[in-house]
Amino acid sequence: MSTVVYPARRFLTMNPNRPSVTHVAVRDGRILGAGSLEELRGWGKFDLDERFADKVILPGFVEGHSHAYEGGVWKFPYVGYFDRVAPDGTRFKGLKNIDEVVARLQAHEKTLAPGASLLAWGFDPIYFGGRCMVLTDVDRISTGRPVVIVHSNFHVANANSVVLAKAGITRTTNVHGIVKDASGEPTGELQEMTAKYMAYRAAGMEIAAVLSDEQAVWRFAKVAQLAGVTTATDLHNELPESTVEGYLKASASDDFPIRLLPAFAAASVPPEQGIPRLQALMKKNNDRLRFQLVKIVTDGSIQGLSARMRWPGYYDGTPNGVWNVGPDDIDRILLSWHSAGFQVHIHTNGDEASEVAIEAVERALMAAPRWDHRHTLQHAQMADAGQFRRMKALGMCANLFANHLFYWGDIHYAKTLGPERAERMDACGTALATGVPFAIHCDAPVTPIGPLFTAWCAVNRLTASGRTLGEAERISVADALRAITLGAAYTLKLDEELGSIDVGKRADFAILDDDPLSVPPEKLKDIGVWGTVLGGKVFEAPKS
Amino acid sequence: MTPFTVIGGFLGAGKTTLLNRLLRADTGRRFAVLVNDFGALDIDSRLVVAHGGDTIALANGCLCCTIGDSLVTTILALLEQPDRFDHIVVEASGVADPGRIADLAVLDQRLARDGVIVVVDAGSVRERSADRRVGDTVTRQLAAADLLLLNKTDLADDLPPLRGWLSTQSPAPVLEARHADVAIDLLFGLPRLGGAAPADAPDAFASWSYEWAEPVERGIVLGMLRTAGVLRAKGIVRFIDSPARRSVIHQVGNRLDIVDDEPWRESETSRLVLLGLKPTLGMLGSLQRE
Repeated sequence: MSTVVYPARRFLTMNPNRPSVTHVAVRDGRILGAGSLEELRGWGKFDLDERFADKVILPGFVEGHSHAYEGGVWKFPYVGYFDRVAPDGTRFKGLKNIDEVVARLQAHEKTLAPGASLLAWGFDPIYFGGRCMVLTDVDRISTGRPVVIVHSNFHVANANSVVLAKAGITRTTNVHGIVKDASGEPTGELQEMTAKYMAYRAAGMEIAAVLSDEQAVWRFAKVAQLAGVTTATDLHNELPESTVEGYLKASASDDFPIRLLPAFAAASVPPEQGIPRLQALMKKNNDRLRFQLVKIVTDGSIQGLSARMRWPGYYDGTPNGVWNVGPDDIDRILLSWHSAGFQVHIHTNGDEASEVAIEAVERALMAAPRWDHRHTLQHAQMADAGQFRRMKALGMCANLFANHLFYWGDIHYAKTLGPERAERMDACGTALATGVPFAIHCDAPVTPIGPLFTAWCAVNRLTASGRTLGEAERISVADALRAITLGAAYTLKLDEELGSIDVGKRADFAILDDDPLSVPPEKLKDIGVWGTVLGGKVFEAPKS
Repeated sequence: MTPFTVIGGFLGAGKTTLLNRLLRADTGRRFAVLVNDFGALDIDSRLVVAHGGDTIALANGCLCCTIGDSLVTTILALLEQPDRFDHIVVEASGVADPGRIADLAVLDQRLARDGVIVVVDAGSVRERSADRRVGDTVTRQLAAADLLLLNKTDLADDLPPLRGWLSTQSPAPVLEARHADVAIDLLFGLPRLGGAAPADAPDAFASWSYEWAEPVERGIVLGMLRTAGVLRAKGIVRFIDSPARRSVIHQVGNRLDIVDDEPWRESETSRLVLLGLKPTLGMLGSLQRE
């Protein structure tokens, strides 16, 4: 029963009784005390570990909405517009035009075995001034092997002529999502499910399998750890046996650096099958793996033009989006899981989707009154003040997609939502003022995992072009730090165990090079993360 | 090639009732039916010959499969056991666009897109289509249909205006039914070209076969195919304008495919089978005889 006391420049605890302390004592993976060295001496013998003496330590960050696919995609080269850090700490420079993308993949192509397919991900042409990737671009990478480049939204891909030929995609192929040029020839851009599957099949790619194997879970945990995350969700998974096995194997290792919370895809099987299945999985929970969450996906995405919007709809006149689980089906699923005592996370991007979800929660509560359900709207990007008031009244939480402000804020302002609704999207200020418990998130791999960056977004609300999107919705650094620790833990019903540095809680820490409350708010994202501590075990991040 | 049919329609329209009929019917064909939920189907346990987790095999040769992690994976896995079934039927979710699902037929050369059948609840479709949250979902489904099954006609207050409205939403021909009681062959076709008319077809339905020894005028055949009341057609024809090749005709409701096939063999005769409403086809038959 050894005790270690860590001195630090300071600990920011999220405990209002002692918001800032200099020493923390850890025993058996838990926090024994937080205060001055003198106070901690009362616990008896201890070892003093001074390695963090010049660091600033926060509760380990909690990422309430991410996907383990983030680990899966790192098996393949990244070709996005923004810099991104790989699980081994390597920083990949963002690629600023199509030539740079082609050049990186030409180099990668030379490392592949003959005949192997080339897959890349993260391609993001929205800042290329309207220039799209076309067949001649992709063919410069290779005309000898299949090449597929998946866009950052994961809904669109570009293929080379090898893939098109193998898939039989020609000017006469009449399938939704095969983009054709003015002369009617396919450009290699494939936008819909069927079109993309044609490419994957032609390239012989078993995407789903590599995205969720045990190695993918490890890479996900490592890329999260690099960002100071100690608890992360895999927030929508049908939990096939192979995936569960990967989770169990990975989390059984003491070296696994995060606590992982998968959310069961509630609509994938009828509730009467899903509920006993998840209950059985919960018996396998361990310190680093928690089955307890459930997720329902209502609509699509705003940037994918598939979000369900209330009147007046998309700013550029695009027709309304699509339902995955629609208003006539959500009650059946939600009420079953609600009545069985589960906390349900509901994906809603558009404001019509949020409205449908809120009303469904209201009906579930009338049918089966329940306290402290904490049903959470995930994204809730367009929720307005009235919807936040209803969420508050119903005991709901929100997890807002703050990273969207930076990555797509300019597009939302100019095209999808228009100025007013873009300025009030991901309304952290309103959530705070209304008293809706909230977190902020990255939705990795849609955007990179990095809670300090996410907090920076909520604090500064800057778009990629530098526009401040909604001054009134900005929140303070202190509030943003709470949202990525205790706030997120609350939305996962883990706030009694995690999320603050307090006696009895898990010794999960994010070790930072600088003090987020002292640096200028616009520098929040630039603070270095030395590593993490998970249950008292130290994980130093590899350096780039 | 395995025919691939998608059953769409909004929640509660009667898709499951239709599938229950399909699984019970004695059609001489083995359907593989892909659904989201076995539980909703009414399967007589005495007719189950094997139950293997995601698949139930029935005594009449039909299979029921749950759509697991992905519809694509399920279909491709099924295609690896082609000797187990003759026709694949997918039940689309109540909010899905069934046309997009039918697109999946291009994924594999072993699949032949057969048709999109959209089941419509006569009692509620107008109200649903005007709903601000689901109206556009409903009208997209109607527009995607090759063949509409107007179900629950007993629940509609006034059918003629409903028929009129439906024709403004979709050019697809409309079958009417209660409790999804409809001749299975009309929806899913005859087992083979030249097969007999369905024995259990209601009086209003019939199949008509045509043979031509000489090459046929394309316009005459198109005229027959486009006659109101023709619900399905299948044929191998030698057109005057393309005498060197077989032209393979496949029609499901509103969707007509005519594909150039192998070279014409001199021993063959042109054949065409129409399925549809008896009065209309009766008239066609007499036209042809003239």
